[in-house]
Amino acid sequence: MSDTFSLWGIVSAIGILTGLGVGFGALLGAVSERFKGDEHPLVDQIDALLPQTQCGQCGYPGCRPYAEAVNEGDALNKCPPGGEATIHALADLLGREPEPLDGEAPSEANVAYIREAECIGCTKCIQACPVDAIIGAAKQMHTVIEDECTGCDLCVDPCPVDCIDMLPRSTPLGQWQPVVLPTGVIASDRTPATRGPDVTPI
Amino acid sequence: MLHPFDFPGGIYPPERKDRSTLSPLRRAPLPSQVILPLCQHSGRPATPCVARGDHVRVGSLIAKRDGLISADVHATVSGTVGHVDSDAIHIDSDGQDTRQYLPPLDWRTTDAPTLLMRLDESGVVGLGGAGFPTHIKARVIEWHAIDTLVINAAECEPYITADDLTLRNYPNDVLEGAQLIAALCGAQQIIIGIEDNKPEAIAALEHTLPDSQPARVTLAVIPTRYPSGSERQLIKKLLNRTVPSQGLPADVGVLCHNPGTLLAALYAVRDGQPLVERMVTLTGEAITQPGNYWVRLGTSIETLLSHAGLDNARLSRVILGGPMMGTSLETLNTPVKKTTNCLIAATPDELPPAPVESPCIRCGACESVCPAQLLPQQLHWYARAQDDDKLTSHHLFDCIECGACSYVCPSHIPLVDDYRDAKRRLRYQQIEAAKAEHAKHRFEFRQARLAREEAEKQARRQARLAHNKPTDGNASNESTSAPPADLRSLRIAQTAAKAAVRKAEKVLARAAQQEPQQPHEDLETLLATAQENLKAADFQLAQARESAKAPTAEDTP
Repeated sequence: MSDTFSLWGIVSAIGILTGLGVGFGALLGAVSERFKGDEHPLVDQIDALLPQTQCGQCGYPGCRPYAEAVNEGDALNKCPPGGEATIHALADLLGREPEPLDGEAPSEANVAYIREAECIGCTKCIQACPVDAIIGAAKQMHTVIEDECTGCDLCVDPCPVDCIDMLPRSTPLGQWQPVVLPTGVIASDRTPATRGPDVTPI
Repeated sequence: MLHPFDFPGGIYPPERKDRSTLSPLRRAPLPSQVILPLCQHSGRPATPCVARGDHVRVGSLIAKRDGLISADVHATVSGTVGHVDSDAIHIDSDGQDTRQYLPPLDWRTTDAPTLLMRLDESGVVGLGGAGFPTHIKARVIEWHAIDTLVINAAECEPYITADDLTLRNYPNDVLEGAQLIAALCGAQQIIIGIEDNKPEAIAALEHTLPDSQPARVTLAVIPTRYPSGSERQLIKKLLNRTVPSQGLPADVGVLCHNPGTLLAALYAVRDGQPLVERMVTLTGEAITQPGNYWVRLGTSIETLLSHAGLDNARLSRVILGGPMMGTSLETLNTPVKKTTNCLIAATPDELPPAPVESPCIRCGACESVCPAQLLPQQLHWYARAQDDDKLTSHHLFDCIECGACSYVCPSHIPLVDDYRDAKRRLRYQQIEAAKAEHAKHRFEFRQARLAREEAEKQARRQARLAHNKPTDGNASNESTSAPPADLRSLRIAQTAAKAAVRKAEKVLARAAQQEPQQPHEDLETLLATAQENLKAADFQLAQARESAKAPTAEDTP
């Protein structure tokens, strides 16, 4: 009985537990120091919600810098290409109040198109493109790779001969699927009903 | 008969198959013009390799496959190529019907690579409806071990009888084709899954079954129930294997083929005939000569139906495919494609328009008939509310769009329409997300490249200055070098950049090993970015070392 509460037992228990605590604490500390990442996870999450057009309409040079600024408290409503959807997603993520969009959201997805006959080959648009989507060389005609273009507009202003247009993005046939289904076609066994107003799926 | 395993749900719609099985198999007349779409299969459209005015013969290659998941397109009549655009190739027939077939092969003595190449260059795709290129399916052995080939002859949709007539007329050829595919993919057994409403086809198969060599062939007659012809449901029923969610039958060691596909594969190998015609069921009350026809691909549906005696006065609509999963055609001026298995010219009494939709009464009828064990009612709410997270967690993408839920719905809700719409929206979001990710990588690469170029420029400038003014290098270094660089932090940055390059290389190597067929552009961009960063760090470090070394060298003498 007295063995249970002997001083030695208590001291050794405290000693072992303290030792374990110190040991594992040191291990965890060493591991966290060894495998420390330098990136900020919240900035990554914010960056993932931005549309990555790299257009700079927010006043920052690209989406990542804006993500960093938002993380430090900048307004959520500076991204016109993202529109309301991006503002709401950001507000959800950060627990802030959504604000109305500062600027005008584009009505549809655009891509840049160079009127090649008028291009003088000045390479100014190539230097402006944030995603290297324009190919060409000095005094040679330039052209835009449509699949890579984000529609950011940044190439339009530098062009000295105004030969760049923003045109709607073409959709590959494979990505367009009509919703046409003969609903309830084998309905002849039921009571024939008159055709009512079309109910379009939401 | 195998073990009677079963899939849940299912419905018993009226079959209405008699109309097209009573008359014998016929051949549709040669069309005067064909329109051959470049995308008659799943995957990327083919690239045209003929121009206006070229003379082609039946079986001439007119469009080459583009990428892995794609298929060749061949001329289906002899004549002159007319209009060629990004969607289709038009050919005007000269009525001669001269042929340009490939040399015949004996599949029993030919090696597998030659056979695979033959399937590839014959443009054979799955004729059941999905149009998946057959040579890719036969190549599945590179990724999965296959033990069973299932011939999907269930043909559970009402009206369609093309597989039934194929088996009645060509049982030997279908089995031969099955043996060919089984030998290619290493399957030891072949199971024919067929519904019990096709007694003539079953009799024909039983007659020819004993002669089929070398794989063992079993005939499994299953009770008629919709949708037992769906791949997953048939495999569950025949073999009691469950194909995993988002997976393929190959994941459970099974390959599933339609009898028509097997026939086309055999003809491609044995006769060297590319896929230029297919069997199409023409049926419905609005045509006078219903039946199954061999039709050249690219024949206009209007011509075809008028040949079968279309009565325009009685016609209400034409459905492409079966009544459960097919689509109403907006216009008849459209060609027969590789995946066109059935055309129903329906009268208003036969297939009346959909009744007015009423609100969901939560009766649960849809849940009891769903063969994929989903919750159609929940999916309906979430699809209408566009709740994408919930749709994904309720496995929307496991829906096979069979239409059983819409069929039983007492409120006439077009459930499958909602699901298709939601699926399309989610797919579009995925594509957009992938695009944004891609743009981000390209932006990062550009930033890294600019940083590297800047560092390079600085290094060159410094070297030039050091070269020009060796005597007062101390002062010039002080003035020109960018902010005094801390050697230690630069060395750490260089090590980190090296680690990033190694990591990117490893990820790319692993991806290339796991999916050798897929392009890995994004990973390559990431690797290039890491390499640019490393170069920039190298230059900065070298520059800092130079500037650190230069003053000390001056000081020592």
